[in-house]
Amino acid sequence: MSISTLFADYSQFRHRHPDGDVPHNPYKWAMAIDLDACSGCNACAVACYAENNLPVVGREKFANGQAMHWMRIERYWDQDGREFPDQGARYLPMLCQQCEAAPCETVCPVGATNHTPDGLNSQVYNRCIGSRYCSSNCPYKVRYFNWWDYPTTDNVWPAEMNLQLNPDVTVRGKGVMEKCTFCMQRLRAAESDAKTQGRLVRDGEVQTACQQACPTSAISFGNLVDPESRVHKQWRAQQVELDKHEQAKDEEAGGSDLRGYRIYEWLAPYPSIMYMERVREIAI
Amino acid sequence: MNNDFNRRDFLKVLGWGGTAVALSGCGNGMVESGKETVVSYVETNDYMIPSVSVYFNSTCAQCDAGCSIMGRVREGRVLKLEGNPNSAINRGKTCGLGQAGVQHHYNPDRVREPLLRTGDQGEAISWDKAYALIAEKLKGVSGEEIAFLTGGVSGHLKVLMGNYLDSFGCKNHFVYEAIAPAVVRAANKKSYGVEMPRFNINKAKVVLSFGADFLGAWVSPVNFSQQYAQFRKGVNGQRGVLIQVESKMTITGANADRWLAVRPGTEGILALGIIHALGTATGEVAAAVKGYDKERVSRDTGVSAEQIDKIAALLKARTPSLVLVGSAAEGYAHGSQNAAAINLLNQVLGNVGKTVEGAAIVPFPQMMPATGNTVALNKLNKGLNEGKYKVLFSYATNPVFTAPGAMKFKDNMAKAGFKVAFAHYLDETAMQADLVLPLDSALEDWGTQVPEYMAEGAQINIQQPLMEKLHPGTRGMGDILLALIKQRGAADYKNFDDFYAYLRSAVLHNKGALGGSGVADDDIFWNETLSKGIVKLPGAAHASLSARSGASGLSLPAPAAIDAQYPLQLIPHVNASLRDGRNTNQPWLQESPDPLTTIVWDSWVEIHPKKAAELGIVEGDIVEVTGKNGSVKVQAYVFPGIHPDAISIPIGRGHEAMGRYAKGYGVNPFQILDLVYDKETGELALHETRVKISKTGQRVIVVKDEGPVGGNQEGQKIVPRMTTDKVNLSKEI
Amino acid sequence: MKDIREDIAWAQINNDVLKSLENPRKLYWVILFIAIAVVGVAVGCEIYQYNMGLGVGNFDNPHMWGLYIASFIFWIGMSHSGTLLSAILHIMHADWRKPIYRFAEAMTTFSLMTAGLFVAVHLGRIWQIYFALPYPNMRQLWPNFQSPLLWDAMAIFTYLSSSILFLYVGMIPDLAICRDNMHPGWRKKLYTALALGWEGTDRQWRNFRVTYLTIACFLIPLAVSVHSIVASDFAMSQQPGWHITSFPPYFVAGALYSGCAAIITLFIILRYVFKFEEYMTMAILKKISRLTFAIAMVWTYLVWVEYATAWFGNAHDHHLMIEKATGTYAPFWWMMNFCASVVPFVLFFKRFQTNIPVLFAVSLLLNLGMWLERWMIVAPTFADGYYPWTWDHNQWPSLVQWGIVFGSFGWFTMLFMIFCKIFPSVSMYEVKEMVYHRKLATKKLQATANLAAAGKGAH
Repeated sequence: MSISTLFADYSQFRHRHPDGDVPHNPYKWAMAIDLDACSGCNACAVACYAENNLPVVGREKFANGQAMHWMRIERYWDQDGREFPDQGARYLPMLCQQCEAAPCETVCPVGATNHTPDGLNSQVYNRCIGSRYCSSNCPYKVRYFNWWDYPTTDNVWPAEMNLQLNPDVTVRGKGVMEKCTFCMQRLRAAESDAKTQGRLVRDGEVQTACQQACPTSAISFGNLVDPESRVHKQWRAQQVELDKHEQAKDEEAGGSDLRGYRIYEWLAPYPSIMYMERVREIAI
Repeated sequence: MNNDFNRRDFLKVLGWGGTAVALSGCGNGMVESGKETVVSYVETNDYMIPSVSVYFNSTCAQCDAGCSIMGRVREGRVLKLEGNPNSAINRGKTCGLGQAGVQHHYNPDRVREPLLRTGDQGEAISWDKAYALIAEKLKGVSGEEIAFLTGGVSGHLKVLMGNYLDSFGCKNHFVYEAIAPAVVRAANKKSYGVEMPRFNINKAKVVLSFGADFLGAWVSPVNFSQQYAQFRKGVNGQRGVLIQVESKMTITGANADRWLAVRPGTEGILALGIIHALGTATGEVAAAVKGYDKERVSRDTGVSAEQIDKIAALLKARTPSLVLVGSAAEGYAHGSQNAAAINLLNQVLGNVGKTVEGAAIVPFPQMMPATGNTVALNKLNKGLNEGKYKVLFSYATNPVFTAPGAMKFKDNMAKAGFKVAFAHYLDETAMQADLVLPLDSALEDWGTQVPEYMAEGAQINIQQPLMEKLHPGTRGMGDILLALIKQRGAADYKNFDDFYAYLRSAVLHNKGALGGSGVADDDIFWNETLSKGIVKLPGAAHASLSARSGASGLSLPAPAAIDAQYPLQLIPHVNASLRDGRNTNQPWLQESPDPLTTIVWDSWVEIHPKKAAELGIVEGDIVEVTGKNGSVKVQAYVFPGIHPDAISIPIGRGHEAMGRYAKGYGVNPFQILDLVYDKETGELALHETRVKISKTGQRVIVVKDEGPVGGNQEGQKIVPRMTTDKVNLSKEI
Repeated sequence: MKDIREDIAWAQINNDVLKSLENPRKLYWVILFIAIAVVGVAVGCEIYQYNMGLGVGNFDNPHMWGLYIASFIFWIGMSHSGTLLSAILHIMHADWRKPIYRFAEAMTTFSLMTAGLFVAVHLGRIWQIYFALPYPNMRQLWPNFQSPLLWDAMAIFTYLSSSILFLYVGMIPDLAICRDNMHPGWRKKLYTALALGWEGTDRQWRNFRVTYLTIACFLIPLAVSVHSIVASDFAMSQQPGWHITSFPPYFVAGALYSGCAAIITLFIILRYVFKFEEYMTMAILKKISRLTFAIAMVWTYLVWVEYATAWFGNAHDHHLMIEKATGTYAPFWWMMNFCASVVPFVLFFKRFQTNIPVLFAVSLLLNLGMWLERWMIVAPTFADGYYPWTWDHNQWPSLVQWGIVFGSFGWFTMLFMIFCKIFPSVSMYEVKEMVYHRKLATKKLQATANLAAAGKGAH
């Protein structure tokens, strides 16, 4: 450790706000979720449990607000005072938005959460000392803390259940923060395989667990920087730009007729997930 | 590839050695502490590379849709299930229930050895002893005195089962699926000529569903969900419109553009009202709908006249459409009539042949799925009550849990002489058995399966083990049946060592019909079949739909009067994860919030706010729901998505057995159902139970995922919604 | 009213104060035992929490922080008492601080120690708390200097070490007195070692004065910055109810407030127990009361600045404001406002400014108000953050959290009690200065008057 690292490390350690068209190179992982296709079935949430060794906390702890679902499906009703919700409900899969200017990254005292070169918000379990400042600062509250020692004292994976655990993902002990990583283990494996073959990851080659399970294919995931990727085309079609906290299309008179938006965009965390609004038929 | 290559041997090496490595890799410092050792492979196989996953295809057995899955296998253990992209049914996707298949397999409460009941205890015995005991109990017993109760079965297992029963001359195969679209099937047969046509949701511009929860738990939800996504993208760029008519909102209803809360049981009336409003009906149909004008229909159903007009206008303007019937049929004593009326709508709209088509037929009728519901159970129940059966076999069904308490199935089951349950867990039915034979999990077993709903083309699904069996004491159902058949001295089977051999031989025997005519080498064909996990039958014929007018004999009863003593109608709700309760012991599903209420790990009763205010009930009140046949105490949840005259309790919870994750959570509404049956089919009318509610004075905090403001965005732009007149979908990709 | 009597002999001062170091009576042992028992309970709670995980504290998503952070801030706030008295008033030449600053400074030190414990107790992985320190490591990692929590770590370390230094250095002349007046025994050995050979020479006094002043000047901005940094834990985040620029001065004002109230409490106790009526006089008590009232008004102004900012701020802050006043925390919020803004008005009235029972009760209520204030900053923002789905109106700290919080008071009491019996809780040499100054001043005035009367001018 030296004075030189104090200056050298920092420029990589603290990723600057998104700037210009290409914030990351060659990968910037991003997602687009079509809320008109999302049926709220929860398949993605269960797939996430399977892929990322999420502990099932049980009834008492869930009641106590200590659930560990990295991806949660929220169900909203129209607030119009009608007798029935006769225009249906609205579903929103909420997960870590992998913000480019993440409020959680700046406040961790030990630097356990940072921005990776491929545009993810990383959580380093073995550096985390559990101050929970990151989650305090998260506007979406998508960070989950290990309040208990799930693998040991809680014995959440009794014999044979532990055989299901994904060896590519750490099983977290007590006292560390965790959250959606865009299935970083899959991304790293794909990036590494592609690199050994001397190419970049192709669109569709790697899928997050939630995207892979989703029966309505509501989740698109891919490299925002790759102009051929589905997610890039979707962001472009919806005229949502990563590095803006107000989109130009919203300034149009009467608002925009495009569906893409990001949640809490005005807080300027620059989230990497674009949602596409649900639609409702007015003829009925 | 080595010709001696035997999948089983490979798995033996892979699995056993792999498990040891897996165990040592998994524990916390087990190797370092000397508690476990790393066992190196004696003879590794070519593509078994540590840290590299291998995918094997199989079939999901969590429900009867028959989606194909790929299991990710590493170091000899299956870690995660994905969808097999080659299946026309699920096309690479899985639902949450499918994902939880690994928990069915790794469940710590699996039965590991044959258990023989002695008094109240279960004593572990060897398989030899178990088989000997069965042989002894079957000695001198005629075919009429044996009953074989199963859930839905298909494929070669069904064939083998049939052969076993034939060896006794036993005709008592009772197929009981607690949740099955039995009335719909019967109605479809009458209306279209086939029990389950193919529904092309993705070709429809409007889907009008009468309680068919096709995004949730109805028939083949993964397939329908994918079609739904295409449907929303639209035919010729025009986004599909979904209208859901039901008394209690399902997840499909939650996704509808218009959800219509209809008075329970009056769905058929509404269908006829819509036909009337369309104004295009002629002849017999016109006569049948003559009395169903808007005002009368609106009065009867609670759906406004204006709404009826809008629906009719939409259906006229946008064709083709698709009308589906689900709980409208299964729920009522006049369910068949409801279904007939609703199917009639499809005919009037000209959907038959467009969005309702004949499905491809698998040319092996003996492998087609056996289905059945309460009629079969009632027959069995009656026989049990009369003491008719000396031996009862039970497989893949749990009637002690799912049968209405009024049937007294548990008591009647005790009257059978010797009860054998083939089970994965000690569920309620297994707990009543005399002998429990532990099964290989769905991820350890061989088989073929024909899905109940056939999507495009015809296919037979292959089920193969994704890893070596976890517990040496379990057996595959096919292996057990084979052993039992051999007991009968059947010479045909003596060449088959196990079910695998039987299966392989059966498949190869029909190689030509299964698309293998171009493959000369049997081994190669077999390995390719296993590798694909699906056998597609490209030349399969499609069923033809007879254009029958279903208006003849149509007679819908007036809406039921409200019983003063039992003023509410109980709707036992089927949700996608728990279904009939067979998967409740999978903790991911217990912890997966219900999409409508977000409640976990418990049961609840949904009450409309108006009714709740009337009764002074708030969220969390423990209320007693009492019917003629019993009562349950359950927490109340005020829910706007239900008709005020109805209440709903989900089924699937309320287990009294079945392991640590299922036992003691929630209540079982099956228990208090009234024995009301559909007049035409005799199947249980699920929504006809009348109940009353009373407060117990207790209150709890409901365990749910939503916060204190429930589904309120509090004025924030979290999930905005655009209407079709404001949104521009043309630029979307 | 003069602050203290002018004609107290120095020997008397020595005797009175040293008397407080005598072997304690039974009541002392009883109370100390209770304090240690309470600490024992807290230690038990912490062991349980350490082994099982923080879940035992009844935290959840979103209630990520709870009583530990609230108490942490409270104790840091309390620590400003000493600095206020020792340093700020020293520079302002407010002599009336002299008899009371010693115990106030001790209070500062022990408050900081207690606050430091809360940092540890709050963490999910205490055993890796050293990650927050910039120690040489193979991964070449520095801690994250952008994080206010890290500034906390730095600030508290600095403040604690400075306070200990200040307390100790300021005590050296007194330790010398103790040394010189003690019969042989462990005490004499202790004081001899700690007095560092102080002889009271002119040179030593001059060096002492300069050192003391330097540390005092250093300590003032340090105190202000420490609590501003602690305030930054909130102000630098963007959560509703936290992201308010007035937080640093608001917290500092709250800290001074809290410290003053605690001074009153301990003043009354020590005065009674050690019979320090001559030194901890009513005059001084009156001044402290008035000072407390003044700070209370400053704090009240700042808290209304906070309310105004929230009310006229964005929808989220506005909503949170309403929730605080009408939601699940409303009883506590109103109690806080009452205790901290209304109760101090008692101190406005002269007859209460020296009324011991009233002041004792009022000081406790003021501190209760300030503790509640810290909790009301921490908890409601979690209960009603930005995202409605994650609001949680029903999460209360468990007995484990309360156990540790009460334990902290036990810990503080224990430390303070031990301090009072080993070290002089009144600064003997400074009191002597007061008397001396007065004596000298009086003598000088007298002399001048005499001379004037004699018709001769002053030379």
